[in-house]
Amino acid sequence: MSATMIPDYGVLGARAAAGVKPTTLSDDQQVARAKAAFIAGMTGDMATYLESCIHCGMCAEACHFYIATGDAKYTPIYKAEPLKKVYRRELAPMRWLYRLTTRDITVEDLADWQELAYDSCTQCGRCSLLCPMGIHIQSMIQVVRNGLEAAGMAPAELQALCEEQSDKASILGAGPDKLREVVERVRAQGIEVPLDKDQAEVMVLSSALDFLKDDGVVAATARIMNKVGADWTIRSDGFESANFGALAGDVRAQRRISNRIIDAAIATGAKKVIVAECGHAYPVLRWEAATLYGQELPFEFLSVAEFLGQELQAGRLKLKNAGNGASHVTFHDPCKIGRMGGSFDDARQVLDALGLKLTEMESHGRTNLCCGGGGGVAMLKSAQHIREQAFELKREEVERTGAQSVVTACNTCMQSLEMGKARLNWDKDVVNLVNLVSDSLA
Amino acid sequence: MNEGLYLQGMSLLDFARGPALRWAVAIFVIGVVWRLGALLLYKRQDLSRPRGATFAGGAKTLLTRSAPPHELEKDIKFQHYSGYAWHISMFIVLLFGTPHMLFFKGILGFGWPTLPTVYITVLSVLTTAILLVLLARRVMNPVLRKISTTDDYISWFMAFLPFLTGLMAYMHVTFGMRYETVLALHILSICLLLVWFPFGKLMHAVMIWPSRYKVGAAFARRGVRA
Repeated sequence: MSATMIPDYGVLGARAAAGVKPTTLSDDQQVARAKAAFIAGMTGDMATYLESCIHCGMCAEACHFYIATGDAKYTPIYKAEPLKKVYRRELAPMRWLYRLTTRDITVEDLADWQELAYDSCTQCGRCSLLCPMGIHIQSMIQVVRNGLEAAGMAPAELQALCEEQSDKASILGAGPDKLREVVERVRAQGIEVPLDKDQAEVMVLSSALDFLKDDGVVAATARIMNKVGADWTIRSDGFESANFGALAGDVRAQRRISNRIIDAAIATGAKKVIVAECGHAYPVLRWEAATLYGQELPFEFLSVAEFLGQELQAGRLKLKNAGNGASHVTFHDPCKIGRMGGSFDDARQVLDALGLKLTEMESHGRTNLCCGGGGGVAMLKSAQHIREQAFELKREEVERTGAQSVVTACNTCMQSLEMGKARLNWDKDVVNLVNLVSDSLA
Repeated sequence: MNEGLYLQGMSLLDFARGPALRWAVAIFVIGVVWRLGALLLYKRQDLSRPRGATFAGGAKTLLTRSAPPHELEKDIKFQHYSGYAWHISMFIVLLFGTPHMLFFKGILGFGWPTLPTVYITVLSVLTTAILLVLLARRVMNPVLRKISTTDDYISWFMAFLPFLTGLMAYMHVTFGMRYETVLALHILSICLLLVWFPFGKLMHAVMIWPSRYKVGAAFARRGVRA
């Protein structure tokens, strides 16, 4: 099995952050902007969650960062504390009492929460699955990110990438021109890539995060699309699946970025848009893009794993056995595609069709443990230590399966697993699903 | 009738059973309805295509969230089972203690079988002990210390007081007071609990249902069992 080389997100993030200018907002302006964003993000659902918390602390036991460190500040509901405070003082039925008995949030509070809302939350949603009261904690931490971003307090790495992607439609300078270069190189390998077709049934997304160092994923995806006989295209005006607006917490940028894809898909007349193996991109597009666009969409978003599962079931995707000495695998469910996306079985059906022996980790499917890098955390230099601590939990679960290879379907998970492998001299193979399938097309 | 004159000839027990309880129930009902107002905040329309049925998912989660997934349960055993023990004991004592049943019978007009005194006494002692352990845990556990508020301690006290006064009345440990006085204190502690209920976290007994439903529906929309 071949592994995909992907760029070190930490290095990319540091490069991006170098050009960020410090905020010129005053402390009062920062607090006011954060509060306005908290209030704007508050819905009836969220108010219900905030009214329900019994401070039992169980959510801590679901969080890989708390489990790995034992530090109480990583308790998931504590990460939403600024939002709670603003809700209590500004919106709650009991606000008159809270205004008398609590103090307002300060710019220092916001600064303290930067680490908690960004570095130590991959937005994996595991805490939301354990809370006995049924509180969707992950969605509240996203609103905390919205507030911090509005106050100019998002981490420099994410802020820089968010601004670049929103304004220039590129990531680290990799935009449509870079895509065209990559496509030409893939074509030079004898693989047909229908770039910028006017009309196509299927529009495939990619990501600069995949092709900045390596063309492998684009080539593998193209091979599969051609083999199943899809009427497909990749559009230079809407190919980037990553959304740094969502990761930074800038809703307007998020909308602008996802709208580019929607506009390109509508222009192409696509019925299906295949989201690259990019974890956060899937829920952002599948579950949030239509609402931000303001109307139901005339096509469906599918993750690559979902698409492969559908093609397999339809009999269009034919695979040969992939076992070449490493036929015993375990599957790492990307949180954003599984727990936050709803796709669990598709990848497993593909692994089965490849004739691989699958041994599940103790935490798999909806209770999967995050790799530690999701939600933009892989980009943050400041999160490196805690990320590595959290990865240890994943490594131990993989070890207990006895499998030789870890398969996954998300480039951030790939990055975390590859980095862990390199750092620890780990003897496991790390493989992404698209490459695995591409190597085993019958 | 002039309430002031009415109160003059009233014993503490009469006061507890009468106006105190009536006012407490009124505040309880109005407060609960008012606090539910939070649910009426703006709801965003979700335009994504659902993968699963939100109503069925939400309804299912009302019950399924009572038993966390196995992989997640192993680390929360103490909180999980102590929570169950305390709530179940409390409801048994509340509903199957003979004096309580007779109290409800006076309101509802019908009664039901109750448990022997010894069981109720043991369960009351057990529940009180669990409450003390949970308080100690809240004070000592770093996670709980980090996220606890004054409300947590007030609500604990409001839950503890009826058990303390109830045990005193039930076991005739009166510290020199007349039995009627202890009984009145017990009823007044319930009044206090009812008055506090809508304003603090005791309200979770109501909020748990919409909250579980909403998280269940949110996950179900994405095709995930919550």
